[in-house]
Amino acid sequence: MFFVTYLRRELRRRMRQAIFIALGLALGIGLVVTVAAASAGVAKAQSKVLSALYGVGTDVTVTGQVSQPPAAGPPKGVGEIGKGANGPEFCVVGGKCTSAAGKTQNEMNSLDSGMSQSKVAEVARLRGVAAAAGGITLSDSTVSFPKSGAFTPQMGGYTLDGVDTGHTALGPLSAATVASGHSFIAADAEAHVAVVDSGYAASHGLRADSALTIDGIKFTVIGIVRQAQAGNPPDLYIPLKVAQDLPLQAGSLKNDVNTIYVTAASAAGIPAVTREISSLLPGAEVTSASALAGEVTGSVTSAAKLANDLGRWLAVLVLIAAFAVACLLTMAAVARRVAEFGTLKALGWRTRRIVAQVLGESAAMGVAGAAAGVGLGFAGAAIITGVAPKVSATVGANTVPGASDANLHLIGGSPVQTVAVGLHPSVTVGVIVLAVILAVAGGLLAGSAGSWRIARLRPADALSRVA
Amino acid sequence: MYKLTGVTKLYQKGRRTVPAVRDLDLVIEDGEWLAVQGRTGHGKSTLLNLLGGLDRPTEGTIELDGTGLGALRDAQLTRLRAQKIGFIFQTFNLIPTLSATENVEAALIPLAIGHSARCRRVAAALESVGLADRAGHLPTELSGGQQQRAAIARALVKEPRVLLADEPTGNLDEDTRDDIIGLLEHLWRERGLTLVLITHDTSIARRAQRVGVMNDGRLQVISPR
Repeated sequence: MFFVTYLRRELRRRMRQAIFIALGLALGIGLVVTVAAASAGVAKAQSKVLSALYGVGTDVTVTGQVSQPPAAGPPKGVGEIGKGANGPEFCVVGGKCTSAAGKTQNEMNSLDSGMSQSKVAEVARLRGVAAAAGGITLSDSTVSFPKSGAFTPQMGGYTLDGVDTGHTALGPLSAATVASGHSFIAADAEAHVAVVDSGYAASHGLRADSALTIDGIKFTVIGIVRQAQAGNPPDLYIPLKVAQDLPLQAGSLKNDVNTIYVTAASAAGIPAVTREISSLLPGAEVTSASALAGEVTGSVTSAAKLANDLGRWLAVLVLIAAFAVACLLTMAAVARRVAEFGTLKALGWRTRRIVAQVLGESAAMGVAGAAAGVGLGFAGAAIITGVAPKVSATVGANTVPGASDANLHLIGGSPVQTVAVGLHPSVTVGVIVLAVILAVAGGLLAGSAGSWRIARLRPADALSRVA
Repeated sequence: MYKLTGVTKLYQKGRRTVPAVRDLDLVIEDGEWLAVQGRTGHGKSTLLNLLGGLDRPTEGTIELDGTGLGALRDAQLTRLRAQKIGFIFQTFNLIPTLSATENVEAALIPLAIGHSARCRRVAAALESVGLADRAGHLPTELSGGQQQRAAIARALVKEPRVLLADEPTGNLDEDTRDDIIGLLEHLWRERGLTLVLITHDTSIARRAQRVGVMNDGRLQVISPR
């Protein structure tokens, strides 16, 4: 085919220039692919954190209002740690203080206020909801002080989830894999059994069939599970009904849940489901998965900003520069070939045929640029994977008004959970298709710039360049 | 047959208007060989461009076989060139990346002739100019004379009615010049072509049926037959 032969020969003749243009495009495309891959990696890291927190199938999470002490200070009866004249003290707000030296205080708290369990069924019946499960998230805090009376508290504790044993496919436990023993079955609803995170089990010498005391009540460990630690998942799982009966420091969650995990029937329906739940539960905090991503803070967020803002603009700038260079070089090449095009016009070639030839050459350079750019993109993604340090993700951060310094801590206040997440950029098929489209578009843009010149070329003028 | 009536071509050079061809009346019969001489810059190439439809006259009309070239649209002129007019240039104007065969084939592309027919006609054209054994060579691998032969084959492969040659031997040595002019004369006679040939060489001009001299944009036919 003459078109291909001519195209191939011409590119071979201008090999260096063709390579330069293709490499310029490749650089821009490579950057776009790398940035897109990094963005995908960051999104994946965020999603990893979130799935560990809220489970794999959860589209919307409903929590009761965060328990916040009033601005004036913690409510009466709540335990406080104070720094008295003779050392640390355990105090009851509005009550008396006793020395904390050599003592340990343990309290179980709910971070969110409760919602009636009947609301779970109401949410499940909403239009667009595929499934809903209630849960309870509790935090056990232990504070110990040395006998010396020094104000150097040793903090300990664990997080605990009450799981609806009839709906284990929703919630944090759904993201876990059983390492030994087994997970809950529906019949465990009222049993004093626990499933334990493998890390917690290892640090506390627990295994399947071990005995475990939670809030003064004995449980039997039935399974050990492995979980992605990215989202600081719960240490212990017990049946929801049993969790509801646990004595808490403040109030009770009897017949209540403090979290509802919801799966929407379709991704498109999530906003509508979110609105419906908000209207059903006006006081509750309704968060969709995309909004949850915004709750993750730390360097993972900085990485996301870096990829999405700086990276995107850098890629756009390099791409524009590559397109501009390709246009200029193509116009220069056309200028050098004016006599050739004039000859072709004299032979009876129509302008559009000559333009097609030049566009074909440019498109071929674009395709070469796309191939090299995708390769560079993969290399960039691999380099990021290899050299990028783990990014930190901070989740569940709740500020506690009134707890302004180390002098005063609310026992059971929400700890800021910061975890390290690996950044694994991934190049998707969609990004590759985008890269090819961009590169070919860049090539065609350059070809169009040259073609514009050809179209304006009068054959006699073109031939006079050599005459 | 060409019929030129009151043809003038003006160029704008800055603020100056330069007449390249002035008030030219000329008839070139079918199968005639007209040689045009004249000093550089006196309008010879402009005349050839006007005859080939590569340029349009500022005033006057140019008819080829009764068709006014000035009235044709660009696309129609392009088609006319593709079908009826062959060009030969002083600098050969072969496409450097294409072989002799492919250069000749390039002239058939606008005619949308099938591949096998193209191959047959290209081979015959190269054979007719004695270049069959150099068919696969690039222009840089051919001598000046061979390159001009390839250019002649390219001009003739589409079997045009008119052959317009702009100093076809200007870049050749004396022996090669005689070969090329001998070849052109042979093809002109054999195919009954209308040949308009621009040359500085009086010995070549003498072989034509008529010789015209361009002087300051005016053509004076000095040896009518």
